[in-house]
Amino acid sequence: MSVTYIDAIREAQETLLREDPRVFLYGQDISAFGGAFKATKGLADAFPNRVFDCPISEDAMIGLAVGAAIEGMRPIIEMQFADFSSIAFNQIVNQAATHFYRTGMPIPITVRLPSGGTPGSGPFHSQSMEGIYAQYPGLVVVTPATVSDAYHMLIDSVKLDDPVLYCEHKFLYRWLKSKKINGEHLPIGKARIARPGKHATVVTYSAMVHEAVRAADRLQADGWEIEVVDLRSVKPLDLDTVLASVARTGRLLALGEAFPWGGVTAEVVAKVTEEGFHLLDAPPQRLNARDTPVPYHPKLWAAHRPTPESICEALRKLLSF
Amino acid sequence: MSADGEFLRSVFKSMLRGRILENKLSSLYKAGKIVGGVYLGKGQEAVSASLGASLVQGKDCFAPLIRDQAGRTAFGEPLIDCTRTYLGSVEGPMKGRDGNIHRGRPEMGMPAMISHLGAQVPLIAGMLFAKRLKGTLDGCVGATSVGDGATSTGAFHEGLNLAAVEHLPLVIVVANNQFAYSTPNTRQFACEDLVDRAKGYGVGGHSVDGTDLLACASVIGGAVRLAREGGGPQMVVANLLRLGGHGEHDDGSYVPDSERNGKYGRDCIEVAIRQLAEGGIATVEEMAVWQDEISEEVQRAVAQAQQEPLPDPYKENWTALSTRFPISAE
Amino acid sequence: MPTVPILMPQLGESIAEATVIRLGVAVGDSVKTDQEIIEVETNKAVMGVTTLCNGVVSEIRAVEGVSYSVGSLLGMLEVTEEEVARTGVDTTESLEAKKDQQPEDKSGDEEANLHFALDGDSYEEDPSIIPSVKGLPVPTGVMGAHYISPRMRARMNDMGLREADISAIAGTGAGGRVTVEDLERFLDYLDAWPSAAASPMRLAVADAMRRSWTRPLATVGLPVLLDEALNHRRLQNPKPGLTLYLLRAFALALKEQPMNAGYLIGEKVVHPRSFDIGVAVQVEDGVVVPTMREVDRKTLSELISDYDDLVDRARRRRLTENDSAGGIATVTNFGTFGLTSGTPIPLPNETLILGIGAGRKKPVWSDQVEAFVPATEAELILTFDHRVVDGGGAGMLLNRVAELLQQPQKL
Repeated sequence: MSVTYIDAIREAQETLLREDPRVFLYGQDISAFGGAFKATKGLADAFPNRVFDCPISEDAMIGLAVGAAIEGMRPIIEMQFADFSSIAFNQIVNQAATHFYRTGMPIPITVRLPSGGTPGSGPFHSQSMEGIYAQYPGLVVVTPATVSDAYHMLIDSVKLDDPVLYCEHKFLYRWLKSKKINGEHLPIGKARIARPGKHATVVTYSAMVHEAVRAADRLQADGWEIEVVDLRSVKPLDLDTVLASVARTGRLLALGEAFPWGGVTAEVVAKVTEEGFHLLDAPPQRLNARDTPVPYHPKLWAAHRPTPESICEALRKLLSF
Repeated sequence: MSADGEFLRSVFKSMLRGRILENKLSSLYKAGKIVGGVYLGKGQEAVSASLGASLVQGKDCFAPLIRDQAGRTAFGEPLIDCTRTYLGSVEGPMKGRDGNIHRGRPEMGMPAMISHLGAQVPLIAGMLFAKRLKGTLDGCVGATSVGDGATSTGAFHEGLNLAAVEHLPLVIVVANNQFAYSTPNTRQFACEDLVDRAKGYGVGGHSVDGTDLLACASVIGGAVRLAREGGGPQMVVANLLRLGGHGEHDDGSYVPDSERNGKYGRDCIEVAIRQLAEGGIATVEEMAVWQDEISEEVQRAVAQAQQEPLPDPYKENWTALSTRFPISAE
Repeated sequence: MPTVPILMPQLGESIAEATVIRLGVAVGDSVKTDQEIIEVETNKAVMGVTTLCNGVVSEIRAVEGVSYSVGSLLGMLEVTEEEVARTGVDTTESLEAKKDQQPEDKSGDEEANLHFALDGDSYEEDPSIIPSVKGLPVPTGVMGAHYISPRMRARMNDMGLREADISAIAGTGAGGRVTVEDLERFLDYLDAWPSAAASPMRLAVADAMRRSWTRPLATVGLPVLLDEALNHRRLQNPKPGLTLYLLRAFALALKEQPMNAGYLIGEKVVHPRSFDIGVAVQVEDGVVVPTMREVDRKTLSELISDYDDLVDRARRRRLTENDSAGGIATVTNFGTFGLTSGTPIPLPNETLILGIGAGRKKPVWSDQVEAFVPATEAELILTFDHRVVDGGGAGMLLNRVAELLQQPQKL
């Protein structure tokens, strides 16, 4: 018996609904239907009047969540795809994100963003929005990469008093499995070493953690020991763990699936350069998706995002400096 | 005095409070005492105060927009909140972090508006939705104001549609003041009358002459009652004319004389004084006394806010999150 | 006859698998194009799997009630060549040739959360596709130790290392640069050798020499006869040392040609304020350079006591900071070590250093006696910062010093 990444998300929501009467779920097709990805399967039956279908109105969904949070509730909003949260952008970054600073009242909403590419999903069902939201003050942005993190970080997100963008990677939904959900876990804001090494550090998050580990495994054959840091949350960003890793290795590759201009990888490189310049033995590198919309065809898609091959390539260049 | 009479007297007092306070803000602005814009509700007091006075603070919720000084006052916002926010006092609800009409007290059911029009519609719907989940919705109403311009936004549409789907006791008052900043209604919407949209959303629709206190009190009060009694969302279109510019930086010279001299060009306060006097609800002398008392009140609120400390960037808590990171591991 | 596989179709984005709920055909049945032959159910809906061409069912793999991932083989059709040509369907053979595979369900071989089923073959990049990785800014044209990374710099600072210290390391990094690993390896290697801490004096000399060496230094030499000076010296009481003759000659020559002692800083040449000249004094484990003040204005005999006092205090390490400050050039008499020639290096804040080697008896042609006579000759050596002084200037200066040494009565 094993638990998939999406099972963990479903179970976290079940736990939250069971344990906290302030929690309710609001989203498109999430009630009896169980959600486009079945992340809420069976929850409407188990928790009557706690799981609601809503009109295709992403702006209003977040607006409603903010209003409900003001009234003391802890809503979880499911965006059917992270891409569609662009419609709700205003409510997220202007209403929810500014509220605590402006009024002193935090807005404990959790917005679930099914993120990232899968083969054949194309430009509008594949986006990675974490960098955009992380840019705004007042938001917490989490990017779980493991089954256990998918579970615990969703629970922790809802417990947090601030608005959280919970970026769940669609690619991991059914393929990523675990024997069980670990009891122990790190708090939001702490990164973890996904794979120890000493020659170079890959700082990444979400599905790219697994691609980085695969690349590291390949380079192992040549005697390279690559350390992979899983950020877990991109905001706050655990610079201490990143710097500690770069202190060990002297070489940094920031890896992400989002578009290449700015974003999380740029932030990681900037922060390490600012605070850990003396640790760098080679120019810090970034590897992201290409600067085009996410293509539809799997062959194009696979060459659009970083792959173990391109990560190895980047690491070899970094190691040869 | 009948209950209706008492209601009208209270609405009128809020109208006066709004007008007198805003006149004072205008002169403070012209004296260079206010940083940022000043946005007044001159000409919209009857609509705004009728809405605010129909709501019960502590039970209902109200998301005012930029021309709702009278409605805020009627709902129970103290004058000092306004003067403190405009003058930047650190004692105000926004502590200098936000200004002018972007103030609120969410904990008392009055959220702080953002500049993005229509955004408060789903927010109020969410507050009502939460009350339903908590089992406290019975007999409650949520209200928000928008202008004619906001009816063109996606947020307005999404929010009103959602409120209708959820059958929430939401009252939207559209102050149709003919201009969104400088854009006239002919460039804002193509339907004959905005109230016709109510049917499309499946919500109650009401029209009223926004310069007529008696009509406003009756129609807006009635719409609030309908929502309170389970009638679902109500949309009131109040037709009137903005008597100033968009803000005090704008003289509104684009408003043609035909509009100024037309049906909605009259001042709702003058209309109200006449109506109250003719209806025997308040005497002219009584109203003059109120005016003096309110002027005193306003003066005190301005004086107090002006003497209070301004925000200090060295003492400011520069964080947008309530959570303190890092969180120590369990 | 070609076979055409019946595959579980992609029934919507995000749909990974579907359950077969009814098989509409059996092996041997004839089917028509677009016929719904298998009913499947997904999370979203019930749908029919259709055939792409006319044919005969040759195999059924699907079992009712079982879920299959997208792309799974549900059955097989036998199809005529003509039908394949007419419809353009992919046959088992053409699919094999194309190797255009669907993502394989790898949900079975999950190990410890590490991998998801990005099938290696499906997503193998074409060799022609260049990964979106740009080259690193390799310091081309700059050799070896000259490129120092921030980490190298920090590590070197930690250890008190200078660029000169790492010049012994063969770098393995881009452009032959020395990486931190190279440095650590080198240090590990040195651990096997005997070593001791350098004295503060040694470090001070090393630092001054390293700083001075950042400039283009040139050295010129000229033999000079010392007999006149030595004869003059024999008649004095107390006797001035040869160094003092040199010092005095140098000061007078510089006074005549002060531009040679200019110090280049940025786009400016700083000229001497007074002719204060340092003297190199060998002390234990190093060299110190106390400064003789206003050498141009004092006679040889006046200089003796100043010199003796400075040298004495220098050897006892009793010099103050002021004793060594403000010089415009230095004189060094390495002849006292028996050396005849050398390339002295000026102090980092000075442009010139004048050295003299040991005197040697040589036959010199005398016009007076028309024969070779014995004479004492020594090598005068001048090192200068070539940014400030050129060979011509240095030659004139050196010739003038030699001339003055042979007229000791003028000193």
